[in-house]
Formats: sequence, C-alpha cells, structure tokens
Amino acid sequence: MAAKIDLNDDSVVVIVGSGAGGGTMANELAKKGIKSVVLEAGRTLSVDDIENDEWAMFSKISWLDKRYSAGGWHGARNHPNLPAWIVKGLGGSTVHWAGVSLRYQAHEFKMYTTNGDVIGANVLDWPITLEELTPYYDKAELKMGVTGDITGMPHLPWSADFKVLAEGARRIGYKKIVAGPMAINSVPRDDRPACQQIGFCMQGCKIAAKWSTLYTELPQAVDSGNCEIRTNCMVLKIEHDKAGKVTGVVYADANGKQQRQKARIVCVAGNSIESPRLLLNSASSMFPDGLANSSGQVGKNYMTHMTAGVYAVMPGEVHMNRGTAVAGIVRDEAHNDTKRGFVGGYTLEKLALGLPFLSAFLEPGPTGWGRRVASAMEKYKYMSGVWICGEDLPQTQNRIELHATEKDQYGLPVPIVYKTDHPNDTNMRGHAYRQMEMIYDSLGSREIYNLPAYPASHNMGTNRMSEKARDGVVNKWGQSHDIKNLFVSDGSQFTSSGSPNPTLTIVALAIRQAEYLSDQLKKGEI
Amino acid sequence: MLYDLAQLIRKSRCAVAPTRRGLLKSAAFVALAAGSTSHPLSRVAIAGTSFSAEQKETLLRMARDIYPHETLLDDRPYQAVIDALLSEAEADSKVEALVTSGLAELQSHANATYKCAYLDVKDADEREALLRTIQMTDFFQKVRGALLMGIYNNKSLWSRFGYDGSSWEKGGYIDRGFDKIDWF
Repeated sequence: MAAKIDLNDDSVVVIVGSGAGGGTMANELAKKGIKSVVLEAGRTLSVDDIENDEWAMFSKISWLDKRYSAGGWHGARNHPNLPAWIVKGLGGSTVHWAGVSLRYQAHEFKMYTTNGDVIGANVLDWPITLEELTPYYDKAELKMGVTGDITGMPHLPWSADFKVLAEGARRIGYKKIVAGPMAINSVPRDDRPACQQIGFCMQGCKIAAKWSTLYTELPQAVDSGNCEIRTNCMVLKIEHDKAGKVTGVVYADANGKQQRQKARIVCVAGNSIESPRLLLNSASSMFPDGLANSSGQVGKNYMTHMTAGVYAVMPGEVHMNRGTAVAGIVRDEAHNDTKRGFVGGYTLEKLALGLPFLSAFLEPGPTGWGRRVASAMEKYKYMSGVWICGEDLPQTQNRIELHATEKDQYGLPVPIVYKTDHPNDTNMRGHAYRQMEMIYDSLGSREIYNLPAYPASHNMGTNRMSEKARDGVVNKWGQSHDIKNLFVSDGSQFTSSGSPNPTLTIVALAIRQAEYLSDQLKKGEI
Repeated sequence: MLYDLAQLIRKSRCAVAPTRRGLLKSAAFVALAAGSTSHPLSRVAIAGTSFSAEQKETLLRMARDIYPHETLLDDRPYQAVIDALLSEAEADSKVEALVTSGLAELQSHANATYKCAYLDVKDADEREALLRTIQMTDFFQKVRGALLMGIYNNKSLWSRFGYDGSSWEKGGYIDRGFDKIDWF
C-alpha cells in the first residue's frame, strides 16, 4: 500500500534518485518505519519495457539530457554529449548494471597510506575501513542475492565466451579466474528466477534474475506503506532555513509544474554528475558556492575507473552474445604493486557486446568506418572480448561544472564533465593492453582490437567522504560536513575509485547510512 | 616528367571500360530507369528525383565503401539507407544542399587526385582514402551514421554476421549451448 505523503509534511526523508543508493535507502528506511518520498527524474519502467535490443534500450533508458564531455579524454571529441552511460528511469543505473559485485580490498580504502602522495592526484584515505564495512557487505550480498559464500548460491556456470578468457588467462599463468561474485540468481531466490543465460544484462534483465532496485527495493519500500515514489520529477534545488539546515526540495513534476516537498532530511542519490550538480544549483546567499561545499570539493575528484576494451578474433567460433554480458572475472592484476608502473590495480571482466554496439565502439567516433571495421564485423561470431576496469585516481581537474549560459529543459545550467587521464591511467591501460595481447595471442588470435574507454557507467567521487571537513564533502556516514540533515547516498561519496565495480559498495554504504540516520533521528540529533 | 608519370598512373587507376555510370548516362538507360521508378513494384519509388543518376550512383558506391561487405551484402540495405537520405533531401532543402555540396567536394578530391570521378576510381583502398579526406564533414557523418544503423542495427541482416539478436523469448541459451566450445 503506497503511502501518500503531503507536500507540507516536514517529517519525511526526501530521497533524490531511485538507483542503487536511493532505492536501497528507501527500502532500508521503510523497514525501520521511517517515511520517505523518492523523487525520480526519469519515468516509470517495468520488465515489460525491457527488450533484448541494444539501441532500442539505449534510447529508452539512457540519461540523454544535454551534457558536455570535456577534458583530455577521447570522449570529449568522440562522445561530445555523452560523458556517462547511465540511466534516467525508475531503478536508475541498477537497470543497466551487469551485476558484478566485488568488494573493495583493504588497501583500496587507504590509497594515501598505501602509496603516499601521487603527483597530480588528490589522493585521500577513506574515513572507513574494510573491517568496518564488512558486515554491511554481508548484508548487501544477502539483500541483492550475490553468488558466493554469504548467500550460499553457487557462481553462474561458465559460458563458452568466459571459457575463452579463462583458458587464455591460464596459459599466461593467471590463477584468480572466477565466474562471480555476481548479483544474478544462479538458483531461484527471493521470488526471482535463476538466470537463463539470455544475455543483454545491460539492457535490463527481462526475467529479473539480476538484482535491480526496480523490482526489489522500490516495490518493497512502497508495499511497506512508508514510501511514495514520484517519477518524472526532477529536483531543481534543495532549500534551507536561516540556521543552515535543509528544509525540503523544489522539483519540476511530470507536467513541468514546480512543487515544493518539505523534508526533515534530504538524501541525494542522483549519481556522480547530477548529485554535485544539484548541490551547486542550490547555491544561496548563505552558501554562495553551493550546499555542503565549504571545502570547495563538490563536483571535484570525478572518477570513472581507468577503463578500456579489448576484442579479438579467435580461431574458432565463440558467439559471445550467448550468455550473461559479464560472464566472469580475472583478478590477478587487482592488487597494488607499483613495480608495474602504476598504483592500484585492475580487473579483466569478460564483456559481451552485440553487433550493433561493437560496430559503434570498436573504433568510436567519426573515424570508425572502412575496411578495418567492416572486416572485423564479419567475424563477429569468432570474437571474444573484455572490459578492463581499474583504479582511477582522484584529480581536482576532473570535475563537474555548470555551463555559464546554456540551460537544459528544466532551466538548469547544463553540466560540463571534465575528464583527463592521469599518467597512472595511461600506464595501467598500457599494461592491461599488453596482458590482454598475451592472453589472446596464447589462444592463437592474430587480430586484436584495443578499444578506448566507453562513456562512463561507473561515476564516482564528486562529493567525497573525508575525515576532515576541509578535504571532502561528507563524513564517514555520508552526512555532509556542513549541514547535518543533508546526506549523500550514492557513489559520489567514494573517496577513491578502487578497482571493483561500485554498485555493491554503494548498497553497503546505503544500508549503513540508513542505520546511522535512524539512530540519529531517535536520539534527536537531526 | 615525374609529374606526368604520376598523372598517368593515377589516370590508369580510373576505370576506362564502359561502366555502370556510362550506362546510367545513356539516354536509353535514363528512359528505362524513369520507367522503372513509376512501376508499382519499384522499391525506390521516386526518392531523390532532384538528384542525377550519377549522384545517386556515387552515393551508393560511397555507402558500400564506408562499410564494405562486398561478398556478404548486396546493394539493397545500402540502397535503402540512400533512399531514405534522398527522401529527406527532397523534403528539406538544407539536407539537399548538404548532399549536393558534399558530393561535389568528394568529386573535386577525386578529380584533383585521379583526374576522374569517384565512381571511376577502381581501387577500393584508394576510394577509402578519398573518403578519409572528407570524413569529418557533416555530409559524410550523416551518411555514415545512417549506415551504422542501416547495416549493423538491421535485424534482417544480423544472421549474416553471425549475430543472434533477441533471445529471451526462446528461453535464453541455458538449454541452447551457452557453454559449448570445442576448439581449444
């Protein structure tokens, strides 16, 4: 039974966004009896909307509002209006994610302690440790249904495509070759079926075997009677009182009409471009640089992971599209060993692309045509490939800025997303390309294609956690240093990117934040 | 002398035998083609009637050179993309101007380099090199973008590339060999 919450009810929590952070917050708070309103900028989605069609789903679920790519990365030229590949719709990017649920390693919370100063980077330790987060990782895995020891669900079976990567990895001496952990049911669990190896995981799981807030956290929160979800509602501004506490939000509803929802607490979970953008757009005479920005770090330290793709033509048929999109992971390079010429590590994630996406991304941008591209496409069924995902160092120059003059359909300044590789990224990518060449060469492939980064699906760091208020935006609970009743509940609170895919950690942090928030409410602290 | 030799070599790279273009130019063929466009079963209808036969032929050659699949695909998927472009040009004078000036630029590069029309440059790699000189233009990118969708996002062609498309309605691959591999 959905709650109906009055616009003037100032006892509620307003959650901006319905993805991994926002959707989890809504359900965790609902279970504790705390009422919330979820404001989702995108439209309602359901599994009926999901198709096994790459471009159809791209059009249907992507965040395509005007944005600019800037900085030194190739996307500033080749993806000028698509810096990030994330979702605008109910469930946020948990509709699109592939399900990889790795935990951050101990050293990935302590990149400053581990490696010291790195020239040109703005490295900082997280104010929390792996030890502190471990119980919440356990809870997150149980909630999401992650294959492995915590749930007892076996990892998914190896697809032909993953066997190719695994065999190549074995031949060059790698040992950490696993088909999980994945937040995809390998057996029926939690009223959701087992994976049928459909493929198209990143176009949304048609049978809901992959965890998404769309059909787990959000309906559960609504069914509790403690949560109201409003879709097609874009939050324009967070408001505050004279004491500097937030009092609610102003949003444009489905009809474009402005509404004001009062709140006791606001949780921002709009992903790492929209979350800092909202804080910056909420500037006032009291907070002229934007809310929660006394450190000047809002919108800074934008991280995407060091990424790249490698696709190769194998001596035999592979049919990479037959099976889960990310069918397995090789973790032998995930550790921190500066002898390789970079700090941090990376994983090799077996990633299938369909013919439509491979044709667009094999050589992205205006020059990606001609005999080379066409000839590769004719060998589609012989192709196998990986996505390389590694530590991306925070840099002040990588940032979200507001356009000085151009406005979007809501009248808000268009975001400009700056991203330039650090030399650490370049060295790590080069290392990964060489390792992949050895892997594919060992299998007899004579045709290997190195792909640059895709528009980013992993966006982190723009409201980072810090022990000291001067170094970041939020404390170890995701609570802003400056405003006690303003929280950040998404990946923008990450202090460093680590090498793992971020969703599991976003969920673990949200479970932990909901506990803290509830406790503080009971104590009358907020 | 060297210059002349270079000219000679370039000239020799142009087709000299009666070409399809030559045929297209002949009055008889034009009459035939005009007749065919009014035929009720005609696929091309009257798309791009303001464009010459040579311009249309050049667009088709260009389309086949952008994503070349000489043995895998016949003209039809390429022609469909060009027909849509020509229809758009009929309806929108800005698109018509873009196509006309884009083709003229391509021809001027062909003339400057090979002293013949783009269509008559025999070697596929040399035609690709000519296209590379205009690849950053709006005209070229419009054609390329339409082809990327018309060729690789064309469900009717996927099986020829060995791509299966949608699988959920068949129960995925859990019972259809997702784990089968035998060559290593």
